[in-house]
Amino acid sequence: MNWELLWKAVLIFTLSGYSLLVIIVIIGGVGNIVDMLRDLTNPPDPDQE
Amino acid sequence: MDVFATNFQTIDWVIVCVYICIPVAIGIFVKKYIRQLSDFIVAGRSLRLFIAIATLTGTELGLVTVMYNSELGFLHGLSAFHVGIIEVFCILAIGLTGFIVYKLRQMRVMTIPEFYQMRFGRNVRIVGGIILALGGILNMGLFLQAGARFMMGVTGYSNPAGLKIFMSVMLIMVLVYTVLGGMVSVVLNDFMQFVVLSIGMLIGSFFAISKVGWANIFQAPPTVNSASWFNPISEGSGFGSIYVIFMVVLTFSAGALWQSGTLRALSAKTPRVAKQLYAWSSVSYLARRVIPMLWGICAFVFVSQTPRLLEAFQGPDALNSQFGMPVFMAKVLPSGFLGLIAAGMFAAFMSTHDSYLLSWSSVITQDIIAPLKKNGISDKSRLLITRICIVTIGLFLLIWGLWFEAPVSLWNYMAVTGTIYLAGAFTVVTAGLYWKKASRTGAKIALYAGLLAIMGIGPWTRGENVPFYLSDKFIGVMTFAVAFLGMIFGSLLFPDKTGSEEVKR
Repeated sequence: MNWELLWKAVLIFTLSGYSLLVIIVIIGGVGNIVDMLRDLTNPPDPDQE
Repeated sequence: MDVFATNFQTIDWVIVCVYICIPVAIGIFVKKYIRQLSDFIVAGRSLRLFIAIATLTGTELGLVTVMYNSELGFLHGLSAFHVGIIEVFCILAIGLTGFIVYKLRQMRVMTIPEFYQMRFGRNVRIVGGIILALGGILNMGLFLQAGARFMMGVTGYSNPAGLKIFMSVMLIMVLVYTVLGGMVSVVLNDFMQFVVLSIGMLIGSFFAISKVGWANIFQAPPTVNSASWFNPISEGSGFGSIYVIFMVVLTFSAGALWQSGTLRALSAKTPRVAKQLYAWSSVSYLARRVIPMLWGICAFVFVSQTPRLLEAFQGPDALNSQFGMPVFMAKVLPSGFLGLIAAGMFAAFMSTHDSYLLSWSSVITQDIIAPLKKNGISDKSRLLITRICIVTIGLFLLIWGLWFEAPVSLWNYMAVTGTIYLAGAFTVVTAGLYWKKASRTGAKIALYAGLLAIMGIGPWTRGENVPFYLSDKFIGVMTFAVAFLGMIFGSLLFPDKTGSEEVKR
């Protein structure tokens, strides 16, 4: 088994995949915070699930 | 080169001090949103996907996580990456199948022992709650020490009294904002810390790789065995096949049932979001392992190229290996950015503390104190008890974390104290959800079996030539096996005769 190649692939995948995830979460997370605070100020919705 | 020489300047101190005040302001701001216990513990179950990913990552990517993973990289080289690979597959499997977390969220429980009562009755809940709180609080025991070592390595500040005061002040600030804002405050702080820490880690990796050179990471330094640098199963790597098995069981069970992480799934808006959360977060779980390990590996390559540092980390008076990464980063990162990274790390330190404090205090309130009161406890009283527990655990950590010196390594300690709870919990929840014959007796045996893991931090696990059956990894695997067998034989030999009224309810 070529361990060197495996760990190189793992490292590249981690750094690029995590960079992408961070961008997606930052963009989506801001909207989610606004929605969460709105939920907490409104009365609970029994049909939400 | 001086071992503790650092680029940390006054501007970095300013950045750190300003940054760690922000969470307290958020705690005060969100206090108005806390109207009932579920708002405090699970943020009113209002978490949507992206904020849930951020908060799960914020919790699971603490300063301690960075410290023990970088220590693994520093000690074992690239072979340490196998722990990250195992974890990512375990988390992905949970995310794709919804194993455990989907059903738990569907049942609307707030803590794992609450499920014990629904399935096995009140007594199992109390036993499970005590073991969970014991394992969880002990698991936090070395957080302050690791934080102090990071601070010393990065800032070069080594006055022991000053370090203790600084760490104590940070813990008090965590207590303030967690007591005020509960889970809502925790979620908002986790999001901010996710952003700062993630960007800092990615840029920090760039600096680390630039310093030692990409090619040098994939060449074993002359001071270590080439095979053990790459292969986790090779002799001399410090891992071996039993360790790999232990990691599979431990990371899978921790992924599904570590209270602070599972609390995010239980706070998710719907069971489907809880499941998606794990699938998406598998990348975060990989990053929280691999990136700090990379820093540790770069630190070791750097140390092995610098005779003065190599001397400091070898011999009878060698520095603790936890210092490797912070000492390296302090020399590689430029001033200003170093302050931001340090602030991000201290913030991560705080975000882990807030979640853990909230988790274990809710367990004590909901699963130990409340079930003992036959007439029940009002929401208001539960909220007050939870807040008192947060402060009490905080005080305990202050004493234990700053004055207790563990006889074993950081990761060893974390894995073993985690197993105290996880071995029983994983068995009981899995059997409770997916095996109709699981009984109360089997559940109790499995929970008590978890206590066997304490043997894994005994003095017999230290030193050279430890027989395999006395090693911490073997004891860890055996604890899971005993809990599993205890559940099977306990349930078959002592089945529940009829479902009790309590359980039916």
